[in-house]
Amino acid sequence: MPAQESRAHAGRQRTRADRPARPRVGVAKLTSCDGCQLTLLDLEDHLLDIVDAFEIVEFPEATSNRSSGPYDVLLVEGSVSTPDQAEWIGELRRRAGLLVTIGACATAGGIQALRNWGNEPAWRASVYPRPDLLETLPTSTAVSDHVAVDAELRGCPIDPHQLLELLAALRTGRRPQLPDESVCLACKRRGTVCVVVAEGIPCLGPVTQTGCGAICPAYGRGCYACFGPHEQANVESLAGWFRQHGVDDASAARLFAGFTAYAPPFRSEAESATRTAHRQEDPSHA
Amino acid sequence: MVTAVAERRFLPRQELQALIDVLAEDGRRVIGPMVADGAVVYDEVHRPADLPIGVRDEQAPGSYRLVETGSERAFDVTVGMTSWKRYTFPPTVPLTRASQDGGGLSLEPAPEPAEPMAFLGVRACELAALRVQDRVLTGGPFVDADYRARRDAAIVVAAQCTRAGKTCFCTSMGTGPEVSEGADLVLTELDDGFVVTAGSTRGADLLDRLPTRRASETQSASADAAVAEARDAMGDQVATDGLHDRLLDALDSPRWQEVADRCLACANCTLVCPTCFCTSVSQRSDLDTATVVAERSWDSCFTAGFAKVAGGSFRNRRQDRYRQWLTHKFATWIDQFGSFGCVGCGRCIAWCPVGIDVREELEAIAPPAERHRKRPALATGTGPATYSVGTIHSVTPETADTVSLVIDGIDPVIATGTPGQFLMVEQPGFPAFPISISRYAPGHVVLTVRAAGPATAHLTQSEPGTQIGLRGPLGVGWPVERGLGKDVVIATGGIGLAPLRPLLDALVASRDRFGKVSLYYGARTPNDMLYTGELASWAELGIDIALTVDRAGPEWLGRVGVVTQLFDQADWHGQPVVAYLCGPERMMQVALRTLAERGIPTERTFVSLERHMQCGIGLCGHCQMGKVFICRDGPVFSVAQLGDALNVEGL
Amino acid sequence: MHESTGAGPGLVVPPGPDGEIRYEVSELTRVEGEGSLNLVVRGGEVVTAQLAIFEAPRYFEQLVVGRTPDEVIDIVARICGICPVAYQMSAVHAFEDLFGVAIDPAVRTLRRLLYCGEWIESHALHIYLLHASDFLGYPSAIEMAADHRELVAQGLRLKRLGNRLIEVLGGRAIHPVSVRVGGFSRAPGRRALEALLPDLEAAIPEAQATLDWVATLVPPDYVREPQLLALRHPEEYAYNHGRIVSNDGIDLAPGEWGTAFREEQVAWSHALQARSHSGGVYLLGPSARVTLSSETLHPLAAEGLARTGQAEMIRRNVFSSIVARGVELLHAIAEARDIVADYREPEVPRASWTPRPGIAAWATEAPRGLLFHRYELDEQGLIRHAQIVPPTSQNQGAIERDLAGFAPSIISLPHEEATHRFEQLIRSYDPCISCATHFLDLRVDREDEAAP
Repeated sequence: MPAQESRAHAGRQRTRADRPARPRVGVAKLTSCDGCQLTLLDLEDHLLDIVDAFEIVEFPEATSNRSSGPYDVLLVEGSVSTPDQAEWIGELRRRAGLLVTIGACATAGGIQALRNWGNEPAWRASVYPRPDLLETLPTSTAVSDHVAVDAELRGCPIDPHQLLELLAALRTGRRPQLPDESVCLACKRRGTVCVVVAEGIPCLGPVTQTGCGAICPAYGRGCYACFGPHEQANVESLAGWFRQHGVDDASAARLFAGFTAYAPPFRSEAESATRTAHRQEDPSHA
Repeated sequence: MVTAVAERRFLPRQELQALIDVLAEDGRRVIGPMVADGAVVYDEVHRPADLPIGVRDEQAPGSYRLVETGSERAFDVTVGMTSWKRYTFPPTVPLTRASQDGGGLSLEPAPEPAEPMAFLGVRACELAALRVQDRVLTGGPFVDADYRARRDAAIVVAAQCTRAGKTCFCTSMGTGPEVSEGADLVLTELDDGFVVTAGSTRGADLLDRLPTRRASETQSASADAAVAEARDAMGDQVATDGLHDRLLDALDSPRWQEVADRCLACANCTLVCPTCFCTSVSQRSDLDTATVVAERSWDSCFTAGFAKVAGGSFRNRRQDRYRQWLTHKFATWIDQFGSFGCVGCGRCIAWCPVGIDVREELEAIAPPAERHRKRPALATGTGPATYSVGTIHSVTPETADTVSLVIDGIDPVIATGTPGQFLMVEQPGFPAFPISISRYAPGHVVLTVRAAGPATAHLTQSEPGTQIGLRGPLGVGWPVERGLGKDVVIATGGIGLAPLRPLLDALVASRDRFGKVSLYYGARTPNDMLYTGELASWAELGIDIALTVDRAGPEWLGRVGVVTQLFDQADWHGQPVVAYLCGPERMMQVALRTLAERGIPTERTFVSLERHMQCGIGLCGHCQMGKVFICRDGPVFSVAQLGDALNVEGL
Repeated sequence: MHESTGAGPGLVVPPGPDGEIRYEVSELTRVEGEGSLNLVVRGGEVVTAQLAIFEAPRYFEQLVVGRTPDEVIDIVARICGICPVAYQMSAVHAFEDLFGVAIDPAVRTLRRLLYCGEWIESHALHIYLLHASDFLGYPSAIEMAADHRELVAQGLRLKRLGNRLIEVLGGRAIHPVSVRVGGFSRAPGRRALEALLPDLEAAIPEAQATLDWVATLVPPDYVREPQLLALRHPEEYAYNHGRIVSNDGIDLAPGEWGTAFREEQVAWSHALQARSHSGGVYLLGPSARVTLSSETLHPLAAEGLARTGQAEMIRRNVFSSIVARGVELLHAIAEARDIVADYREPEVPRASWTPRPGIAAWATEAPRGLLFHRYELDEQGLIRHAQIVPPTSQNQGAIERDLAGFAPSIISLPHEEATHRFEQLIRSYDPCISCATHFLDLRVDREDEAAP
């Protein structure tokens, strides 16, 4: 999940001379809902400036103009879940100067990664009368499990301000300011009352990376970890606390079986939740 | 009429609006406590009804609740989630604005105007916090102008606490509950109104304009009594004498790891703290970076980026960050600023999502008296000559040279021993020797003894009915509680399993309180394994057992090789692991290396050491190793405690 | 993977041995999700007309198994980034119907407002960013903006307004967080909503201008008499309540979709296709709604529709669906304005509820048409089985039939232009392909059993 800082392709620090005046930008989609690339189109107030500053050469949702690269910056949404995609992402990596993954699917495998604990063949067979007509992988995994990634924007979906920050950073040549800290900092700066402490509502904010602006507690519910675990996520301690304070075992595990379930710190709880959730499945459906 | 500064006046409850109005004159924003989303926060108040009337807070580690009391009182709450820092040192403040046009760069400060405010209901601890931040932000060679401007623009109306919450400890930190200085007005709430005094000339002017009358003797006494009651309710909770030195002496305490296991590094403690002042600066620009504003925001020493330099972070571990925070707040702050950073408001205790309590942590990490190690349960007056008598009930062979003896008729104090402790065994005419207790049971203990020399051989050949002398239980045993909620690894060889058996008994007895429990046990040959019958039953009770021998016979179907090779198959990913080891020195050294490579910290790795002992109670000097006596300070140590001693030849 | 050769949409393929002409677009652009076009004409006859969906399946109906209703609301939003509110609405109403939850009337209104926000965002996206460029001959709105900057800026403003409505109510525009069984985890305060009123007022003339503009775009000439399906309510333009009706006699309660329709798997698609039990194919979405529910349009929208004079074209020519979207865009903005102007905070933002075992089924009107959900819940109130039928899967049959029906009139055109027209036909449906891949029925093999 963590974006690797090394440049697998440039091999040296990029200098001012390397930076193109109007970077060629591509947007690619693997297995996902489309929400993260839509976030780019949702920068309505800035969109026209963005297309002035960047040359959008490949963005199938928005334009019929196509380009197979090379791209200065390639934004990749979606997880790798088919053999075609596993091959394709390698090809995309070759064509991209900077490869930036956007969203929980691309950075952690997404909600569809719940199949990674051996369910996929059974699920496919239970859903399609002709499962053989589909070519899928048993797992849905992050792009960084397959190729080196230069930067990542987390979230489900990504945050528009963080996307703008990334674009502004590309323009200046600075490192994007994407803090790796808990959601709690955003809540406290905002002045939102902590739902865990004041109401006993389970909230994953203390182990989740910030980026969304702490929306959920501001709207009276607990964080459900769209942005995945932060660098020091202490899942065991937080899950233990919830279990000691009235959350039953299965519900506590399910908290972590969400949109970033396959991020390593969440995995064992998520696996336990998924197995529990499906244990009662009617065997005639399997 | 000018009110003398110290004179006590009384403001009836129904005139509270007059106070708010006077504070709000000239467009001042009056900020006071109010209830929002289940907590008391500081926000703009316009009328008394905005205040938390008839509300009381119930605070505990990790918990904050409000209850309705039906009273008319407005200041029964103590401190809420917000501190005044929100207004004097806001979460985000613009610092500079950089604009580029043409070739020129303009770089100017971008201050926000400090709007005039009145803070209503400031507690003594909060006043102390304001003083602390004054020192930090304006008391040195460089002054934070934004903070200074906001502070100067605020009138401060204090409210003395008439009750204390369970998380309050201002009395320990010397900051309350009485208000001493720093407020323009000081209120103390009674049922029908407020005793008011002025604390400054500005306050005296304000007081003049309020519909007060002189406070009566009764009112004055009630006010004092109420504050005294709050003081008594708190007592003295944190031993602050010498805390600075004690804390800095304890930088290697194993407790840092223990609290780090619970800590989420979520930074809530630092953000609710009224004195924490760490910030970071970020750049906010539009797409073409023609204008860039540098903004300063609240940050925390708990975040990943806080201690990052080009090579990485130099505070990588949660325990490093927790240690940084606690030692700064309670020790090095004094070196920097002349006082504690903590004012005893208790917010960090309530608003920690997992209820870590700094009072408890300080007690555990830097206790006021020498209470580092658990002392064995011995009758006082025990000396080198104090023995009790026990009887050998049965002798069961374990291996060719080892037997287990059940000893009953023992002194009851022996039954109070803990896993890992030992007894000194005295047989008339033979030197006394230490033997680990290998099982506790009602009315008896089991000693597993190898005939290594004449004295031990004599014991192993004794008949049931023989009486022997016993002294103990001695030594510091295995810290079983360190394994609670974690995965446990036990690695041992040969007779080393004997002192570990009571630990296994304890794990099995409360199996569900521990995570995965793995026993790695090796012996020279299958016939040298102890307790073979029990190994199978432990496996059934949820212990993962991996066995190996150096030399196998035809009936051995298991692994062959040294016990540390068993670690190769181990799956220790990410879950905190506690390791307990006992065995030959070579085995332990390799095991320790392997554990360290697997990222298991030395504070959570425990070893039992063997040395020649004569008295068993640290008086004869035989078992001394470096800073410790094995018999009295051990035989169980954490590897962190031993430091380099394990590796130094001849130590 | 399915990359373009760079030669423009589709391939230039000379006629085959039987005089066979193939029109292929390996990856459709300016639609949501991943689909391709395969059309083969032989001897003047269409032998193959396929909208092949190769979007990778995510198995949402399995992802919700063993989860609680509130968790399901979070999960199903992720079926689609453009219409997450629709999934949350169909799900929450299904659960509330089964549990017998009575929600606060102000909550009912707020949910309509939330849907207005999504319709505004989705229709503005479609009109300005996905489809108008087809009519004006641009490869995308980016090029269109070079010549018509203010027009595109207007579209972006309208889209932004839709998103802001969702943000205020739901916390964020994509995958809102506050929709819960019983209502909202937090209802917006008056001030937060009222702040949008000036922009809503300003948007009404802009929406009227949008409608007038799209009414001038000339659609290719292809008319037929389709069967239309939509939710209809006697008093309001149906979003969350009404009956499922068609123009040929279907009339069902919102939970009863399965009594008239079923799903099938086809070899060329990862998405199941819906058919009526008699094999019929229906058209859903704005064209169907405007036709079936014109009497409940907001007066401003009804007036706008009348001004265009294109009500009949909307019914008969799918290329005029862009006009239907213009009508609905105006309707949604006008209704949102009315709701915000009269907003009263709910007394009970979130009603309490207890789960019940049983079948929870409901349909609501997503921007693209009827979206049907059906869940089976066990004794603990956890989901055991799910069926989700998005509008695009129901439209697939109609799309393919229209492709076949439209083909004869354009195969004489130059290949590239004809291919482009086919793509435009598909875009007229505003397909949401990520959605279409996710309405997978766990019990297709039990379709012989009477559906409850």
